[in-house]
Amino acid sequence: MVLLAKIALGFGATVVLAGAYTFHEGVLRVDVDETHGRGQHVHVWVPAAIVPMAMHFVPRGRMLEAEERSAKFMPLVHAVAKELQKYPEAELVEVHDGPQYVRVRTHNGNLLIDAEEPGQTVHVSCPLATIDDVSRELAALAPAS
Amino acid sequence: MTSRTRHFFHVIAFLAAAFLYAPLGTQAQTSSAQSSTSAHGERWLHVRVISSNSKGETVRVNVPLELAEKVLPAIDHDRLHNGKVRVGCMDCDGVDVRTVFEAVRSSKDGEFVTVQSNDADVSVMKKEGMLFVHVHDKNKPKHSQVEVKVPMKVVEALLSGSKDELDIVAGLHALAGQGDVELVSVKDDESTIRVWLDSKNVTTD
Repeated sequence: MVLLAKIALGFGATVVLAGAYTFHEGVLRVDVDETHGRGQHVHVWVPAAIVPMAMHFVPRGRMLEAEERSAKFMPLVHAVAKELQKYPEAELVEVHDGPQYVRVRTHNGNLLIDAEEPGQTVHVSCPLATIDDVSRELAALAPAS
Repeated sequence: MTSRTRHFFHVIAFLAAAFLYAPLGTQAQTSSAQSSTSAHGERWLHVRVISSNSKGETVRVNVPLELAEKVLPAIDHDRLHNGKVRVGCMDCDGVDVRTVFEAVRSSKDGEFVTVQSNDADVSVMKKEGMLFVHVHDKNKPKHSQVEVKVPMKVVEALLSGSKDELDIVAGLHALAGQGDVELVSVKDDESTIRVWLDSKNVTTD
């Protein structure tokens, strides 16, 4: 009985620690809601901690393709993500154009993008550290010049 | 439960609590630090555009100058390279802009250009280290007013690069050393535009 309790405790503690660590890094969240016609609803929640880890399991060919496509923008993305981490709470851009609305801000170290237009809303939240990590991982794949 | 198990449980509970509450601690710190005035003497460039048409378009942009200084050199697009923008007409119609600026910089405060016509009034003046440009367009139904106020040090920094380019990063760096200042103000019947610099990380008006 004591042995079973120890195993259960060990298992439970591992789950708690793993969960705590995973969500400690924040959550990458994408919500897309289309309200017109047979609109689509996409809701993706991914623990940010697993994104850089998951990149190691992506086939190298695909990663090189991604690196090639994004190579032009990665230095900029990396610079922005790195610098924005110094501003964890900031309103950066807000645009109202009739029924259309775009807001870009940082909150608790996350980059938040909210876009609304009639029939569609998009909300993206991503930890800045994750953007920085991903841009660094992709940059590391670039052939040395 | 044996004493060893109980001890083990306490350690696990402590570690779990530490991990779980770490993000809350960070949040509490950032929340208390959040205010309209930025903490470390940060300088923010604000742009506000309010359109007076039926849609009521509004644009608000707040950019930390330090961020702009660090990010601009990473942009390599069209005329912008390494924080400098290539301007083809620095020698505009035979007028060497750099030389004109040098002349303005070394001269005493005063009004250098005054144009008064039926269409518009234009004046360019230098006062207390600032270059002022004022344009009053009389053609529009509600006369439009354009006011530009640029610290001379910023203009100097912008022109510090080679002859046909503006050093934007140097300009931003010089701007960061200035106090709160309204750089651009445009008011006409279609929109109101303001560009200003202060230490607040939000647009308060």
